[in-house]
Order: sequence, then C-alpha cells, then structure tokens
Amino acid sequence: MSDWTIEELQHWDNKICQIGEKHGLDWYEIDYEIIDYHEMISAMAYTGLPTHYRHWSFGKAYERTHTLYNAGMTGLPYEMIINTDPSISYLMTENQMFIHILTMAHCVGHSDFFKNNRMFAHTDAANALSRFKSAAKYIRSLIEDPTIGISDVEKVLDACHAIKYQVPRFPGIKRRSHSELKQLYAQKLLDDTTGAYDDFDLEKVPLERDYNLLAFMTEHSRNLKDWQRNLLSIIEDNSSYFIPQALTKIMNEGWAVLMHEKILNELTLPDKYHLPFIKLHNQVIRPQLGDMNPYFLGYRIFKDIEKKYGFEECKFVREVHNDITFLRKYLTQELCDDMNLFTYSHKKVHGYSTIDNVSDERGWEMVRDDLIKNIGLNSIPIVYVEEITKQHTLILRHEHDGRDLDIPYAKKVHQYIEELWGDEVKLFTVLEGDDWEF
Amino acid sequence: MSIFRKHKSQVDRSAADRARHKKKIEKAIKESIKDVVAEESIIGQNGKKKIRIPVRGLKEYRFVYGSGEQKQVGSAGKHHIRPGQKISKRAAKPAKGTQESGAGNEEGAEKYEVEITLEELAEYLFSDLELPDLERKRFRFIEDEKFKRKGYRFEGIRPRLSKKETLKRKIRRKKMAIASGTYDPDSDERFPFHKDDMKYHHMRPTPKENTAAVVFLLMDVSGSMTQTRKYIARSYFFLMYQFLRHRYENIEVVFISHTTTAKQVSEDEFFKRISVGGTLISSSLELQREIIKKEYHPNSWNIYTFYCGDGDNWFDDNARAIELIRELKEMNQLMVYAEINEKHDPDEEDTLIDFKGPNFSAWQEDLPDSLWQLLTQLVDDKFKKVVLRGPNNIWDVFKLIFGVKN
Repeated sequence: MSDWTIEELQHWDNKICQIGEKHGLDWYEIDYEIIDYHEMISAMAYTGLPTHYRHWSFGKAYERTHTLYNAGMTGLPYEMIINTDPSISYLMTENQMFIHILTMAHCVGHSDFFKNNRMFAHTDAANALSRFKSAAKYIRSLIEDPTIGISDVEKVLDACHAIKYQVPRFPGIKRRSHSELKQLYAQKLLDDTTGAYDDFDLEKVPLERDYNLLAFMTEHSRNLKDWQRNLLSIIEDNSSYFIPQALTKIMNEGWAVLMHEKILNELTLPDKYHLPFIKLHNQVIRPQLGDMNPYFLGYRIFKDIEKKYGFEECKFVREVHNDITFLRKYLTQELCDDMNLFTYSHKKVHGYSTIDNVSDERGWEMVRDDLIKNIGLNSIPIVYVEEITKQHTLILRHEHDGRDLDIPYAKKVHQYIEELWGDEVKLFTVLEGDDWEF
Repeated sequence: MSIFRKHKSQVDRSAADRARHKKKIEKAIKESIKDVVAEESIIGQNGKKKIRIPVRGLKEYRFVYGSGEQKQVGSAGKHHIRPGQKISKRAAKPAKGTQESGAGNEEGAEKYEVEITLEELAEYLFSDLELPDLERKRFRFIEDEKFKRKGYRFEGIRPRLSKKETLKRKIRRKKMAIASGTYDPDSDERFPFHKDDMKYHHMRPTPKENTAAVVFLLMDVSGSMTQTRKYIARSYFFLMYQFLRHRYENIEVVFISHTTTAKQVSEDEFFKRISVGGTLISSSLELQREIIKKEYHPNSWNIYTFYCGDGDNWFDDNARAIELIRELKEMNQLMVYAEINEKHDPDEEDTLIDFKGPNFSAWQEDLPDSLWQLLTQLVDDKFKKVVLRGPNNIWDVFKLIFGVKN
C-alpha cells in the first residue's frame, strides 16, 4: 500500500533541510514518529503530546474524530507537530510519499515558527515534554490514591477545563503575587505627588484586575486542598503553553504553507510526486465558502508581504507579530477584496442569515474588524476577578464588548468556579443592555 | 537532518479515557441502545463483537458568546455577493477558524458514535431492570445430579479408601498402644493396619444447576409477514436472545421458519428468506418437538421458545397447535407466543398476558375462536402471549414478559 521507505523519507528530508537552511530558516530538530491511523487519532486527541494526563475529554475527542473520519466528514491532518525541542511530528503510515514530502516541508515551517515567533519565547520548548510528563504522573498518582480517586480528580479537572482560557492573553508578562503587587503599590503611593493614588485602598484583594482565574484561585482560595491547588497550577501551566498557538493560528499555518511551497519549488520533484503535490497544496489553501480557512488567509497575506516587501520582511513578521497585529497591519482592502471576504449573521426576525458587509471600500474595514473579533482567543469572552469581599465572596466580571454571554453555558461555568472557590461566587455581566448577576 | 522513528506500538493509550468517557455518557448510550435494538443483525454474534452507536455529546462548558452575538466571517470564493443578500444554510455554518480555540457553541448539537461490545450492550440494557428479583422469579435452572465427596464412612469400596484418614487412625491407635504399654516402639515388632483403621470417602449425590440453554426462535415467514413485520420480529428476537445470553453460560439458538411446512435455517436465511404460502403454526411446533427429542433433552437443557407471527393461522390448524403448545410448554422454561399486530389497541385488554377470564362477547359466537383467544386458556407461568405493535413497544413487551414493573 505504501509507496515509500524510511530511506526515501531520509533522502527527501535531507533535501528539504538544505533548502530550508538556504533560506535562513532556523528550526528545532524534528523527530518524525511514523504511526498508523489509530495512533494518529489518539495523537490528535491528546493535541499531539506523547504524554498527557488522563481525562475523559480526551476519550471524547478520540471518539469524535473517529466518528467524523469514519463518516468521511473529515480527513486526518497531513501534519501535526508540537512545540517542543526537538519538535515531534507524526507521519501516518497509510499516507503516500508525496503527502509525506509536503508534510515534512510544512513541518519545517511550523518548527521554525515555534522557535522564532516571540509569542512562544516563554513556552520553554526544551522542557515542555518533561513538564507534561511529570504532570501526567502526578495526576495518575492522585487517581490511584485511595483517599482521592478518579471522581474527585475529575471534578477538579472538569472545573479547571471550564476556565482554562480565562488566563492572560499575552504571554511573557510575569505574574506578580499579591504581596509583590502590594509592595509595588505601596511604593507608588509613596512616590505619588499627583494625588492620583489618594483614595487607593491598599488592603483590597486583588489590587488590580486579575485575568488569571486559575492562578488567582490557587493563591487566594481558602478551601482548596494542596493537591487541588496543584491541579489548578498544572492546568494553568498547560494553558500558558497553548495560548501562543491560539494567538498565532493564522500566521503559523500561513507561514508553513509559504515555506512548503518555497521548498517544493526548489526540490525538483519527479512528476509522479509533483502533480499530486500541487493538487494537495491547492486543496490546503482553497477558500471554503462561508468559512475562514486559516491556511488560505495566512498564506495569502504572507504572499502579499513577500511581493511588496520581500522575503526578509516575511521573516521579520513571523518573529514579531501575532494574528491580531498581523491582520491589523497587513490585511489590506485589496487582499480582502481579492479573497472576497464578507461578514454575515443570523437574523432572528427573518429566520435566516444575510450578508452584512462585503469587502468594498465602505465595508472592508468592518469585515477586517469582525474577522479579528472572531479569531483565536478573541472568540472567547474575558472574565476577570474584581475583588474578594469581607465574606470571602469572589466577585467576577465579564468584560462586555457588545457581545452577550451564552447564559446556560455561563451558569454552568459559574457553578464550576463556585466548586473550586468553595465560597460564594458572584458573576456580573451585561445582557441585552441590562446588568445581569449570577 | 531529522530523525525518523517507526512508532513502537504501545498499549492503546486512549483506552482508559475512552472508557471513562463512555461511563459518563452511559445515559445517552442507554437511550440510543433502544434504537440499536431495532436495527442490528447481531443475534448469533459472540459477545466480543463491537457495534457503534450514535450518542449525543457530553458538553464541555466554557464561557462562550451567545449564538448570533458574533458575526461570521467567510470567503465567498468566486461568487458575486452584495450586502443584505440572503445566504444558504450551507454557508451559514459556524466558522471553522474559531474551533481551534474551543468556542464551544456548536457542541450542543454534536453527535458521534461510541464503540461498545455486545456484552456491554446487554449490560446496559438489562441493568435498568430489577434483575436479581427477576432472576429468582423467571429463571429456573433444570437440575442435574452430580456425585460429590462428602465426609467419611467406615464402610465402602476399595477405590474410595482414604489413605490419609486411614493412616491418621493407625497413628492414633499406635500412640495409644504406646501410652498404655501394650506396644514397645523400640522393638522390632510391626504395628500393622487393622480393619478398624479403614476409612472411606463418602459420595453423595448433589444437585447441580445446569447452565446450558437452547433458544428456539420460531417465525412465520408466510406471505402475510411483510418485511416490516420481520423487522419487528428480529428486534424482538434480538432482545430475548441477548437477555438469555446474559444469564446462561452456554446458549444455542435454533432458527425455525415456517409457512405450511417448517424448516430449520441459518440466521441469515431466517431473516432474509422470502416465502409465499399459507400458515400452519403446528408445523414449526412439530419440528421443534422433533429437534428437542433428538438434540436437546429437557433434562440437560434449559429450553426457551419464542414464537413470532401475525396470528393468521389456518383455523383447522388451531386445535393441533394448541395441543402442541400444551405439550411443549412443559418442556420449556418459558414459551412466548408473540403476535405482530400494528393495529392492536392496547386499551382493549387490561393486560396482555394475565387475561384469563372466559370471553363473553356474544357477537363472536359465530366465528370460530382465533388462535389468540384459544391460547388464553394456556397462559400461566410457563406460557405467555404478547402483542407486538411496532419497534417501539418491544421494550415494553419485554418487560411485560419478564414481569418487570415500569
């Protein structure tokens, strides 16, 4: 069935690496694991990590992918690579040689992105695997602990998962503990000559809005047991590892496509590989009607940058930007129009969806802004800690930006937070223009 | 230069998490199973066979925006578009780009399949029922006699001699002899066995439960049994079979299909064979009796019989059929006559099974009694009659047969 050998893979890999180096790419060494499709589905369920802690949601992810795959509704990804040093990537036994060549060239792009984009600077790629491993080991020990057991562990993990995105959205800013913050503000009070801090209450907790719900509860809950606190920290650590990927999905994919295209143009593939390769490449960057294909979008923007400012500028962009700044700066009207981007929404009154804006002179900026609202973490509401009252009630507030929360979901999450906090939790938001309290 | 490694196939790493997930959605699975029961052709399969059943997903709650709060952005490709234009459903699905970050709104409608084995399926199916009670009431095991060693006797035949007990008695006697001074251990004199030392194993017959069962599935395949009716029959048979299999170690199934003549067939033929012709229920019963005589002696097999037909028996066969059922039910642990009647009104009779009273309806006098009416006289612990109205009431019928309260 397969039309390749490991020697052939090595042969093409050598060439790919040479071309990559020639273009000044700098990536982690790549460790290709050759696996079958069952293992691929498993790997996907665990987001590519070779070791991960136990949780039923990964089992669910497996069943879902398996179902979709069996129903022919989805193909398995050609590439999956994780941000570790060395980068681990997976090649599926069932795939043909030209797919492997594309995958390997694509992975060089991703690994280069992981290593160079500044969003990833604090992910500590060299030690990521051992961190996940020890977390998995610790959680297993809790599950096996007769005084704790799987149900109690799951309870905490379920709750943590519900707020795993309620963490700071921009990596690299060191978290200050409450006492550190207090020192900082005390100093500010002393130094203040303008009177801006006259009414500042140095005794309140937190001293400033805290966007890191998991870390805040770890620090301030008076009900959590030590092992529960540790679980919160583990999930928070996981989040901070994954946040950079959510922040750069479009760029990362666009960059990898740009790179595999560049590499492939210089590989001088024999026709039997070249033609199916081009076909696959075109599938990857095809626009999907009414959908936003990140490969397509990222690739088109990078292509445009290269055309206008040259490849060196592309390399600079892949280092300093994230999806939001990338789109703000480089998504032009010309590009929007070219890709025929539009926004649409469901009209309750009519019972159907209509197009709101198209990428013409009047509409394109709104299209761009809505796109930015949609991508990555921007599609997840922000909730922060406002204060702890004297009765140790936790006051949370949703940062309302015009989009209302889904109330049934928010109710559930509120319960989860209450479980973790152990005391009363109040959550404030705005619903249809009015204040709303949970 | 990269590294290539053939993955050493380790244990199925997601198995534990899948099992845990399955446990969490047990309720959803149970709901789906009732549909599966009406579908699968899995009667004769062994318990390890895996089937996939669709279930509604378990939600993972997060803070998300309400639906419609967020404008969707997409590409229109080469299509010409303008603001205000109505767009088709296909284009209106949620943007994929947000999935990565886990905006979970669309998860509500998510459906996927879970793989379970037939054994697990039976487990789920019957765990709802008050089984312990049910078993005592409905499951008798025919008993067999086995001889077992129990205690010792002074009388017995040579092969049952217990050397250990005999030697113990000799040693005891010897010690007593030494103590009383009648025997000097230092002398060269032997201390032989005596007849009184001999002890023998006692064998006692003990009753032993026999866990072998045979299920006879009898079905009318005459012209009036349409494909839909066979479908109902199949689901019904499946449930009965699974339930018994759940209970007995060894279980065999005999498929008998009949029109005016009966034939033992394979499972496949049983459900797929299309026949034309009239109906003589007695033919299948006679064949069953013959098979029981030849292969399944009632003393060593727990026999169950499930008959399924549309009740359209020829009138002059009824008497013969009744006679045979009367005879067969004594050999059976349970015999159930099921009639498929889509138009049957459940309110007509208070209960489908326990209706025993004489029929006083005057207007029926002219007609010869139908088989259904005639069977009423036979209903007891070992014989039941039920009506199957459609796939949806199979589960109720099942519970009725085994006397489970809702």
